[in-house]
Amino acid sequence: MNDLLAVLWVARKDLLHETRSKATTVATLFFSAVTLVVLAFAIGQDESLLRGAATGALWVALAFAGVISAAQSYQADLEDGAFDHLLTTPVPRAAVYVGKLLANWLFMLLLGLLMLPVTFVLYGAAWPTAWPWLLATLALGTLGFALIAVFYAGLTANLRARESLLPVLMFPIVVPILLASVRASGALVGSDDLALAQGWLRLLVGFDLVYAVLCTAIYHFVVEE
Amino acid sequence: MPDDAAIALHGLVRGYGRRAVLKGLDLEVSQGKVVALFGANGAGKTTLLRLLATRLRPSGGRALVFGHDVVTSGHEVRRRIATLAVFGGAYATLTAREHLRLDAALRDTPNDDEAFTALLGRVGLADAADALVRTYSSGMRKRLGLARLLAADADLWLLDEPHAALDHDGQDLLDALVAEARGRATTVLMATHERDRSRRLADASLVLDDGRLRLLDPGESP
Repeated sequence: MNDLLAVLWVARKDLLHETRSKATTVATLFFSAVTLVVLAFAIGQDESLLRGAATGALWVALAFAGVISAAQSYQADLEDGAFDHLLTTPVPRAAVYVGKLLANWLFMLLLGLLMLPVTFVLYGAAWPTAWPWLLATLALGTLGFALIAVFYAGLTANLRARESLLPVLMFPIVVPILLASVRASGALVGSDDLALAQGWLRLLVGFDLVYAVLCTAIYHFVVEE
Repeated sequence: MPDDAAIALHGLVRGYGRRAVLKGLDLEVSQGKVVALFGANGAGKTTLLRLLATRLRPSGGRALVFGHDVVTSGHEVRRRIATLAVFGGAYATLTAREHLRLDAALRDTPNDDEAFTALLGRVGLADAADALVRTYSSGMRKRLGLARLLAADADLWLLDEPHAALDHDGQDLLDALVAEARGRATTVLMATHERDRSRRLADASLVLDDGRLRLLDPGESP
């Protein structure tokens, strides 16, 4: 079996589930939008304060939506022993992880792309001249977040207290990703400082690589009881 | 251990926390045999099946499937097995046909739509082949599980309460499929509470009691 094909089929299965159930889409869209509006409302009328908080608010909204998305990505698997069945096929555990990661990342990336213009409008921020780098930050930040979220969601999937345990376990690990993402996008949106943003992006690439190698290598311990 | 042993257990131990469920199982099942596994609720039947399917790790001892250790050669084991879960193991938001396509892709078997149609017709799901599983009854989900079992073309079937949820015709179909599997030298291990039906099908019947295995009829050979 070509492992890459297995990855694509697992991702396709998860995305197909989401397009039909729309459970995660509705929850995350609503939650992200509410977070952005409430934070903007709390910050008030000060335009410079609002602009400065724009990227932070975006990543807060994405982080909380990402937890919902990751937890939901195993929900369908747990019903009727479907994940058990999937894991008895001759597919490497790592391929299952990467497949679920791919689906989750694409979902988060799409959510980020939708929330980006909403954030700019709500917070009165200007579109940066180096906008491709902002998209790269969004892609790398959501990838890093999804790497951790899918891994820990798998770890807690069979636990009764999974909804409360998942954020408690994953947020301390995901903090470096969030900080680097907020700093990189803040440098681009706030001051158009490409050099500063690139520094944070290099760090983000490093975190993503480390987490990708670690999570892929030890995922089989997560799914074998 | 004979070379043709489909399943070999050597002092297999498994517990959950402090509770030992399997207390040192020893067993050899020859290739092509149909073995029924009985036991009270919580006796460890599903635990044993999940160990053989590489979903659980033993706490002690070894389990081999066609000579491959379930811990160190899990991938090789999974190439040879197919499972039927109690509730069918299907995704609610996929259709029956999509399940067969997914399985074929993951198992690297032919993705043949005509063959899938025939297979789904065989298990009585021809009219529901393209309906989402969430619209299925529990018996229909089990029938889909049977179709996936057949499509897997595996050497060892691990069936967890295969008769459960099936109507009378479905149970007859299952019995016929198991008999056909034996004809193809496929080994079948089924955990079940259906004593009469299963004993008629099986070459040997085992009872899992207090964490240990014993033959129901000492004259039989698994």
